[in-house]
Amino acid sequence: MRIFGVLFRLAWRNLWRNHRRTIIMLGAIGVGVWAMIFMTALTRGMVDQMITDSIGVLPGHVQMHHPDYQDDPSIANRISISDADLKDKFDDAGFEAWASRVRVPAIITSERESRGVTLLGVDPAAESEISFFDYEGVEGRFLDDAADKGIVIGEELADTLETEIGKRVVLMSQDPDNEIADRGFRIVGLYSASTKAVEEAYAFIGKTTAQKMLHIDDATTEVVFLGDDYRNVEPIYDAVTSAVDDSVSVRRWYEIDTYLGTMMNVMDGFVLVWVVVIFMALSFGLVNTLVMAVFERVREIGLMLALGMKPGSILGQIIIESMLLMTLGLAAGNFLAWATVTPLESGIDVSIVSEGMEMWGAASVLYPKLYASDMILASGVVLLLGFLASLSPAWRASRYEPVEAITKV
Amino acid sequence: MSMRSFFLLILLAISAPGSAEERDAKTIVRDAIDHWRGISSYTEMAMIIHRPDWERSMTMRAWTKGDDHSLVRVIEPKKDRGNGTLTDDNSMWSYSPKINRVIKIPSSMMGQSWLGSDFSNKDVARADEIIDDYEHKLLGTEEADGIVVYEIEAIPHEDAAVVWGSEVLRIREDHVVLEHSFFDQDGELVKSLQTMEITDMGGRTIAKRQRMNKADKPDEWTEIQVINVDYDVELKDSLFTLSNLRNPRD
Repeated sequence: MRIFGVLFRLAWRNLWRNHRRTIIMLGAIGVGVWAMIFMTALTRGMVDQMITDSIGVLPGHVQMHHPDYQDDPSIANRISISDADLKDKFDDAGFEAWASRVRVPAIITSERESRGVTLLGVDPAAESEISFFDYEGVEGRFLDDAADKGIVIGEELADTLETEIGKRVVLMSQDPDNEIADRGFRIVGLYSASTKAVEEAYAFIGKTTAQKMLHIDDATTEVVFLGDDYRNVEPIYDAVTSAVDDSVSVRRWYEIDTYLGTMMNVMDGFVLVWVVVIFMALSFGLVNTLVMAVFERVREIGLMLALGMKPGSILGQIIIESMLLMTLGLAAGNFLAWATVTPLESGIDVSIVSEGMEMWGAASVLYPKLYASDMILASGVVLLLGFLASLSPAWRASRYEPVEAITKV
Repeated sequence: MSMRSFFLLILLAISAPGSAEERDAKTIVRDAIDHWRGISSYTEMAMIIHRPDWERSMTMRAWTKGDDHSLVRVIEPKKDRGNGTLTDDNSMWSYSPKINRVIKIPSSMMGQSWLGSDFSNKDVARADEIIDDYEHKLLGTEEADGIVVYEIEAIPHEDAAVVWGSEVLRIREDHVVLEHSFFDQDGELVKSLQTMEITDMGGRTIAKRQRMNKADKPDEWTEIQVINVDYDVELKDSLFTLSNLRNPRD
């Protein structure tokens, strides 16, 4: 243990012998680590938002449908359990929030235009904790209750249809017998969402109104459950599956929207790849620094070996030196990242490129997100790879022949 | 007269003007539709679709029975011959000999154009919703060529599947519809169906030529011309079936 103290002191002093070189190297590592973490935080924030947005819009963390609904989301594939039974089953089951909906494709028509939309028959009371947009933010008003006879559509859709609050539109869909089910609705509210695609996609009406219009009595097509974290949905999934039988299919959000599920996995992989790529660039500088440090000190190393220091200690000394360099660089980089991300966490406005962002479903304000796990991952990878990179110069130093080394000019 | 029937009389007297007028307006519309269609009818007609740079015309035969059943079959031009449309209540099927398939028109396509014309599938499938789904009001009467013309405003019920703010019909007292205009919810004219020519045919006075015209595109229109019509003919129920749509047996 004593030898370690000595080696540590030697390494520390050696590090500052050529302090200019060390500081430059520290700068390089610091900036590299900062780039790793900052970029990660940025993309993390983007993906996180995409996922929470999308989960808010569609799924709920766990969803229940008719087994064929995923392939054919029509009214024919509705859930066999009546709404009242669902209420009995789930009301006291301790979910963060749950709601049953009527969700079918429909056509919305104004005097001048018509568009395909997803019709959502919802119960506002149950929905308030789930849905993606903020009910207070609705221009006009949101639905009052499940029997509300109004309709709430997105601002973008209202523009396309050339209509506005207070005007009537017609919703057309199909009932279970394939007969046309349609009804006029007065627009009572316009919602705004983070992307225009969402604003065009959904039309909200009262659940019981929808059931009446589609002639489906007390049936629904979708039940959604919300937990507190989208990364951990197993407990809800288990609770739901144990409460129902095979007549319905229960799925986690990443099974329903596989794009999002993949996105999340890809993101985790991406962080690692990104960190490694940056380290590759860094490692050249690191190895070079170490090789130089060793090269300058050949005679000195030979002397230490001649005085009886074990080759293992030489090896350790060089590695400790490299690790010290890494640790200092990491500390600087992490601090830098934290110091730059934190003020930006309230959002970066990138609305200049918002159209491009929307094409892949991201909003026009970025909220970078600093995860401790990402910082630890980046630091861990850098330390590990730094250790591996410094093995070679250290090994070479420890293998010098003392006599040759001392006499080396 | 008992006390009770006396009250009833007063009640009737008070409420009479409004409801009588409403009934009147509704009856006028109802009568006009019955007059146009009869209990059953067989019509030969031409449809001319006009656009700024082209025009095409088709001739077709149409059968109607009661409020719900109708069958239309294209005779000319040759490439469209055999195309048919069957309606039953609110449902609609179309048949095309080229693909030899009967297709049920889904709700999503009801707003689309019928045979490429300015009429929508919905216009064809539901001619009589104008009676049940609307409140009718007599706006006024005028006289043209010695015949009284009623102007009736029809406002759709709150939950009716109608996008229009209101529709205004001008109907002659002999039940000929002169004009049927569709207004949006700001009261702006969107499209109108106008009678261009009136004639006596099949024992009735009917609109021989009618033209559907969008207000913002005056040089695009679709005209329906009645060539021949028979009213109250004997039609079998089997005429209005999917198998007859596919394999004509008339």
